[in-house]
Amino acid sequence: MLSATDTKLLGFAQTLELTARDLYQFVVGRKSLSEDERQMLTQFHSHHVAYEQTLNGLLGKNSVSKRNDSLYTGFLQKLSETPNVWTALLQIENALVTTHTKSIESIESAKVSALIASIVTIEARHAAILATMTSTNLSLALDNSESVLVVS
Amino acid sequence: MIALTRRELLRLSGASIASGLVLAACGKQAGVIDDNTITIIGKSPVTAPLADVEVTDAVLLRTAASLEYNAIETYTTALESKLLTGDLRKVAEMAKRFMDDHQQHADAVNALAVKLGAKEYRCGNSRINDVYLAPALEIITESENPNSAIDIVALAHAVENLAAQTYQGVVELLSDPMLRADAIRIGQQEARHAALLAQVLNPGLANVGPTSDAKTGKPNIAAVPSEFGSLANIQLTIGKPKPDGSRTTLILETPSLNSLVYDFVACQA
Repeated sequence: MLSATDTKLLGFAQTLELTARDLYQFVVGRKSLSEDERQMLTQFHSHHVAYEQTLNGLLGKNSVSKRNDSLYTGFLQKLSETPNVWTALLQIENALVTTHTKSIESIESAKVSALIASIVTIEARHAAILATMTSTNLSLALDNSESVLVVS
Repeated sequence: MIALTRRELLRLSGASIASGLVLAACGKQAGVIDDNTITIIGKSPVTAPLADVEVTDAVLLRTAASLEYNAIETYTTALESKLLTGDLRKVAEMAKRFMDDHQQHADAVNALAVKLGAKEYRCGNSRINDVYLAPALEIITESENPNSAIDIVALAHAVENLAAQTYQGVVELLSDPMLRADAIRIGQQEARHAALLAQVLNPGLANVGPTSDAKTGKPNIAAVPSEFGSLANIQLTIGKPKPDGSRTTLILETPSLNSLVYDFVACQA
């Protein structure tokens, strides 16, 4: 049984994963992608689907079914311009890493924290690979300066 | 009267002696007064009692620090070996940056341990070194190994995965939510290290996700090997090829009860 705090935090995490899922869905539909790029992004998309569904299962009747529209619109604008695609995706993954990590500070259940941690390590891997699409600068792949996402 | 043949008599007496020996070997029983009428064969070894230890947050943090030093030592060896040349020169640059990161991580987790009243731990985990790293380096640096350069990258990749998994694993064990977040804040960067090294070992976007070897069916190294961060053991394939073409596979596991850095554990000189 989830505490009220954990329910609230997981609900927000689910909203973010739904938003990421929809943003990746938009990107994989782009014609400018190579086959390998599409394959990789389709895989990343499937991961966000898995995270959203796992959180959905945990939350049960308290689950949320909507993405965060303001967040979605903001990123969609960036993703619409071809040169910005990789940078915008990197920004999304880094923001998810920061936000999920911050939520672990307040999540009461150790098991739930462990689940979020298992998501964070993969989203960090996504970010590292996305960074290599635009630069050979190691710092871009390793450092995360994104702020915590908040509900607007 | 029961008539027994000589053969049956011998079998019965043999069984009696055997069961007597078993009982004797069982040693003392609760509530039984030892009057020395039962013979004990051999000497039972004297066992040293286990130290009274507790897996505290500080122990988990000290263990994490020890792995950071294992990673630093691995990169130091890789750089000193002068194997990272040619195409692998970029890995030398990565190694330098990753070493700095590991030093920062070690400082951070040691600071957290000290805050909890524990002593900092500034050396590698000796069991991880003895069981995994030293044997791996021995295989890698064998003079007949034609893959020593790329194998040392594979070892670094395995160590990064080990570190990432350790931090991910301790999230569930740490009692303080703030420490859980601190742990994964470091763990996620180890995962990034691992992802970048995976692309050196198995390059190309098609190999970012999970793939398998066409011949053996074994999973290839992947930057993003699964949907969720795995806590399964890590396979490290290294060394010169055997006559059948296969190579040595070592299995690495995150620190367990016998490799945690408990309060009484001190760095070995």
